[in-house]
Amino acid sequence: MASSGSAATTSDVLPARARYPAGVLVALAGTGLLLVAAFWDLAIGARPLSASQVVGGLFGHGNVLDVEIVRSIRLPRVLMAAVIGLDLAMSGVIMQGLTANPLAAPDIVGVSAGAALVVVAAATVFAQIHGTALVLLGFAGAGIAAFGVLGLAGVGQGRTSPVRMALAGVTVTAMLLAFTQALLLLHQNGTAGIFFWLVGGVNFAQWSDLLVILPWTAIGAAGAMLLAVALNILALGDDVARGVGLNVDRTRLLGVLCVVCLAGAAVAVSGPVAFIGLIVPHTTRRLVGNNHLLVIPLAGLLGATLLTFADVGARFVQFPFETPSGIVTALLGAPFFLYLARRHRASA
Amino acid sequence: MAVLAARPLRPWVVAPTLPVLLAVLGGAAVVLSIFSLAISGAHLPLWPALQAAVGADNRYGPVIRNSQLPRVLLCWVVGCSLGVAGGVTQGVIRNPLASPDVIGVSKGAGVGAALLLLVLPTAPVIAIPIAAFSGGLLAFVAVYLFAYRQGASPVRLALTGIAVGAICDSIVRFLLVKWPIDINAALIWLVGSLYGRTQVDVLEVLPWMLVLTPALLFFAHRLDVLGLGDDLAIGLGEPVERTRLVTLLLAVSLASAAVAVAGAIGFVGLVAPHIARRLVGGQHLRYLPLSALVGVLLMLIADSLGRGIHPPLDVPAGLITALIGGPFFLYLLARIVR
Repeated sequence: MASSGSAATTSDVLPARARYPAGVLVALAGTGLLLVAAFWDLAIGARPLSASQVVGGLFGHGNVLDVEIVRSIRLPRVLMAAVIGLDLAMSGVIMQGLTANPLAAPDIVGVSAGAALVVVAAATVFAQIHGTALVLLGFAGAGIAAFGVLGLAGVGQGRTSPVRMALAGVTVTAMLLAFTQALLLLHQNGTAGIFFWLVGGVNFAQWSDLLVILPWTAIGAAGAMLLAVALNILALGDDVARGVGLNVDRTRLLGVLCVVCLAGAAVAVSGPVAFIGLIVPHTTRRLVGNNHLLVIPLAGLLGATLLTFADVGARFVQFPFETPSGIVTALLGAPFFLYLARRHRASA
Repeated sequence: MAVLAARPLRPWVVAPTLPVLLAVLGGAAVVLSIFSLAISGAHLPLWPALQAAVGADNRYGPVIRNSQLPRVLLCWVVGCSLGVAGGVTQGVIRNPLASPDVIGVSKGAGVGAALLLLVLPTAPVIAIPIAAFSGGLLAFVAVYLFAYRQGASPVRLALTGIAVGAICDSIVRFLLVKWPIDINAALIWLVGSLYGRTQVDVLEVLPWMLVLTPALLFFAHRLDVLGLGDDLAIGLGEPVERTRLVTLLLAVSLASAAVAVAGAIGFVGLVAPHIARRLVGGQHLRYLPLSALVGVLLMLIADSLGRGIHPPLDVPAGLITALIGGPFFLYLLARIVR
């Protein structure tokens, strides 16, 4: 596994293995699961709907109330879960590719916390801010945190140790979280509501939110695909990559911009949903090898599937009340993180 | 990874000797404590407050004895505990970015406290420190067991510590979302605050500090040997695994006791040892006492500021330590990379 990080040897990554048959299987299975999850997510809720009611609602037949519930409450929520899952999973793949570091992910490195801080600050100072303005602020926070932590952890100055990046990320996250909590405690209007947001979830997504995030998702995903070949070359190590003519610094810069675009927008709209960017890329690479041309789109698909399932799972926590779906991904992802950390070799 | 003891440490200024530094910092802490006694949401004049603190019976007596004095004393105990525990953790993990929070201790204690505060809100207040202490220790045991594979290498200890911390975090989030009744109390505890602490709390944590700090200082030379790296330490006849387990367990107990009464105060255990090492170098017997004093100073500054900055509101000390310690940590990180 080349993804096992800094200790990967050249023979692990050369040539970037692509298991295309496996890729086709994963794509089919992922799409099927995504449809199942989406359908389930549409049917479940305070007013349970049968399969025929869901289909009727989608096409505008049947009970007016059901049509309204499906079309304007549940459908945007399901689509948002898919979009956010895709964003976070893709940004995880890019980060791990850029840093050659298995533990890199937007929430571990502090990108999510940076975006969250700026968004909470804006929301407490200007109560009326929303939509694209909030997303742009999310970009600012995510960007500062991303460049800050990656720079401080020494990315771009030779190999970075996963330990240093994880320690730096955890501590920066703790600091940003403390700032966020300071803001919350000083403006005690609805702590519970903002805490709900801080866990991350797509529970109250609306069509307007979806319109805000879609362009950024498109830009980020397109950018990620364009960078796929460069990321494959970067996996050979900085020196080899330079040797074959890759502009390493420019690739890193563009990659971080993609991460900021994807993760910043996702956090601004739905809060810092945890661990998607860690679980999904690793699982995808396990399944289809490490060619980014294959890993990036499939990780996006599986990320969408995972968050949609997580949204279904969140409904069971305290039915019929709403629970942020980030809870489910956090409970799933943290043990996965432990597994990755334990697998890490004694060297580094 | 930077190895602590091997790093050449250039002091910031012409190095004063250790006794001078201890005297200066200790003096500063005493002066700060005296002024801190009079900082409160209520109006407290300094001189009568001081008289009340040493036993004079005036009308400020009850406030001073029941609220101000315990807080100042707790600043000393908690700051000293976190400073020493942080220094030892960094020494054992051999990474200047490690701290008890990173090993999952504070987060495990957070799970214990949150479990009690949210699930059993009727439990007596006295049970919170016990739950927090057990949570912290359990988290460390989990970290050690998961990191153990023919020995617990420092790198794996750090990484599993972060991972177990993440698990604890998600459990706390789950609890807070599932039982949102007392979310503010839980949040304030998770940030760390000395608000409303009394003599009982001081007495609960004091024995731990009085026993464990000298015990850790007793291990100071062995920690120096451990800092040379496993191979060399084994060559010098040091039972590396055992020393690592014993010292970490002592440090974790010390930090858990502090966190149990004060909440998950961050950054003191991370920053204090750095300042101390920068002042007197990396030898444990020299810098651990200094690290304790720096921890005390940080806690005193944070708690006094928290009481004085926005008077009716008692800003949690943990927020201020993060606001002070966070940027300092970034500065350290930038230096370490270069």
